[in-house]
Amino acid sequence: MRLDKELQTLVQDNVISLETSNKIKAYYIAKNKEKPNLLFLVFGIFGALLIGSGIILMIAHNWDNFSKITKTIFAFAPLVIAQSLVGFSIFKNKGKAWKEASGTFLFFTVGSSISMISQIYNVSGSLSSFLIIWTILCIPLLYLLRSHAVALLVLLTGTYYALAAKIWDHKIIEAPWVYMAFFLSILPYYISLLKRNASSNAVTIFSWMLPLSLMIGSLTFFRSHDHMVFVLYVITFGILYNIGKFSIFKEVKRLRNGFLIIGSLGTIILLVVTTFQWIWGDLLDEVSSYMGELFNVIIMGTIALLALGYNIFRKGIRSINLFQVAFVVFVLIYFLLYQTENIPVILMNLLVFALGVSTVISGAQKFNFGLLNFGLLIVSILIICRFFDTEINFVLKGFAFVLVGLGFFFSNYIMLKRKKVISNT
Amino acid sequence: MKLNYMFIGFIVLALIQLVVPFKMMHDSENVITSGTPYKFKTRPIDPTDPFRGKYITLQYKMRYFITSDTTFTSLTTFAPGDDIRVYIKNDQAGFAVVDTISKKPLDMNTDFVMAKVTDSYKGKVMFELPFTRFYMEETKAYDAELAYRKANRRRLRKKVYSLVYVKDGKSVLDNVFIDDIPIKKYVEQTKDSLLTN
Repeated sequence: MRLDKELQTLVQDNVISLETSNKIKAYYIAKNKEKPNLLFLVFGIFGALLIGSGIILMIAHNWDNFSKITKTIFAFAPLVIAQSLVGFSIFKNKGKAWKEASGTFLFFTVGSSISMISQIYNVSGSLSSFLIIWTILCIPLLYLLRSHAVALLVLLTGTYYALAAKIWDHKIIEAPWVYMAFFLSILPYYISLLKRNASSNAVTIFSWMLPLSLMIGSLTFFRSHDHMVFVLYVITFGILYNIGKFSIFKEVKRLRNGFLIIGSLGTIILLVVTTFQWIWGDLLDEVSSYMGELFNVIIMGTIALLALGYNIFRKGIRSINLFQVAFVVFVLIYFLLYQTENIPVILMNLLVFALGVSTVISGAQKFNFGLLNFGLLIVSILIICRFFDTEINFVLKGFAFVLVGLGFFFSNYIMLKRKKVISNT
Repeated sequence: MKLNYMFIGFIVLALIQLVVPFKMMHDSENVITSGTPYKFKTRPIDPTDPFRGKYITLQYKMRYFITSDTTFTSLTTFAPGDDIRVYIKNDQAGFAVVDTISKKPLDMNTDFVMAKVTDSYKGKVMFELPFTRFYMEETKAYDAELAYRKANRRRLRKKVYSLVYVKDGKSVLDNVFIDDIPIKKYVEQTKDSLLTN
C-alpha cells in the first residue's frame, strides 16, 4: 500500500517515530472499517434498480395467455420477496448496502404489484393517480431504512406525478398540491443528512436534485396561461439562491451547492432577458391587465423574503450580496414602474451590470477565479445583448468586444500575480 | 429497542403495501362475481402507459345527457370535474343507455356508474365514463386499433362494445368485443388480413 510505503520512508528519515507510524496505520484501518464498501453499495443499488425496472417492463407486456391466478401470483410474489428482504435487513440490522438495495427493490415491486392488478381488472386510474399511490406507499420506507436511493426514487416519482397530473393527464385541477406533500416529506431526511455532513456526496446529490425537482414542480403550479410566470420564476430562483446562502452551506464547495448555482444561473438568465426592450412590451401588458392573479406571487414572494430575512438574521445585513436581493429589485421595478416606458429597461440593464461587477469584485476579494470569470461573463453577455439590440457602428462594436476580451485577460492576469505575491510572502 | 420499533413500523408498512393491491383486487372481484353486466358501445384507440404498458382507450357513445330542464344543467350545478351518478338501463338491442343523471343518490332501483362531468351547456351535460382503459398485450394493442379503423373504413359498422360489470356504483371493465368476439381473439383471427390491407 502507498500509505505503508510513505510511513516507512518517514520513519527511515526520522521524521516520525515508529510508534507514531503504527498509530497512523491503526487510525486508517479503523476508519476504513467504519466505511461501508462503496463499490458493493453502488452495485447493490444499481442491481436492484435494474431488476426492479425489469420486472415493471415485463409486467407492462400484459401477458394475455396467463390465467388470472397466474397473473395475481406475479402481482404479489415479487412484492412479498422484496418485503422479506427489507424485513430481514431491518431485523438483522444489516449494513447500508443491504438496506439500500433491498429498499430500491421493494420500491419497484410496490409499483409492479399495483400495475399488475390494474391490468388484470382494467382499472382506469390515470398515470398520476397510479404514481400517487405508489409514492405514498414508499415514503415511510425511506425513514425506516434511511435509504438515499429510496429518497431519490420518491423525489423522482413525486416530480413525475406533478408533470403527469398537470400536463399529460389534462386534469381539471388547480395545482398538484400532493407534489408539495411529497417534496416536504423528503425534506426532514435531507436536513438530517445536511446536519450530519453538509459536504458528503449524498447531500451534494440531493442539493442538486431538490432544486431541480422544485423548478419542474413549480412549472405545474404556475399555469401556462398564468400571466405572471416570469415574475414567479424570478422569485423562485431568488428563493433557491437564498437557501444556497444559508449558513449550513458555508463550508460547502460551490459546485456541491446546487441551490446556489441553479439560483444564480436562473436569476441571471431571466434578468438578462428583461434587459431587452421587446420583453417589456409583453410583460407590461400583463401586469396592467392581470393584477388580480397576484396570489401565487404573494405566496412565493413571502417564502423568498423569509429566506432572505433568515440570512440577514443569521449573518447580518452586511453579508447580503446583490444576487440575494435581485428578485426584490425586479419585483419592485415590475410592479411600481410598469406604466413608464423605458425606465424599467434601463434599470434592468443597470441591475444586471451591477450583478456582474459585484461578482467580479467578490471574486477578486476571495481570489476565486471561477467567481471572477462568472462576473466578467455576465458583463460580457450584457454587452453582447445590447449590440444585437441596438444599431451601433461595426467598428465600435468590434472595439467594445476587444475591450471585453482585454478585460477578461487582464483581470485574470492581475489576480494571478496578486495571488503569487501573497503566497510568496 | 429502536430496532424493534423500526421492525414493527416496517411490518405495518409492508401490510399496507399488500393491502392496497389486494383491496383493488378484492373490490373488482366482488363487482365481477355479484354485479350486473352491461354492454357499452365504444370506439378504441391505442396509447401507452410507461409503467402499465399498452392499452386501448375506450371512448363511449354514452357521453352526454340532455334534459329539458335548463336550470337543472346550468354550469353552477354541473361543473367540469364534478362526480356524477349515471343511472343506466338496457335498450331494446341490449346496450346500456342513460336513464338519468344526478349528483346525489336517487331513490331508484336502477344500477348506476360514477362519471366525471367534462362540460355542460344549455341542458346538455357532457361526461366521461370511468372504465376507459383496456390493457392489451403489447403486440396486439396496435392490431386492435387497425381492426377498428378497418371496420370503419369499409362502413361495415361492426358492433364494438365493452362488457362492464356494475354493482353499487362500482364498475369493472371485463372485456371489449368486436362483432361479439373478444377483441384479443378478434385480433388474433384477423391479424393477417389486417396487415395486408
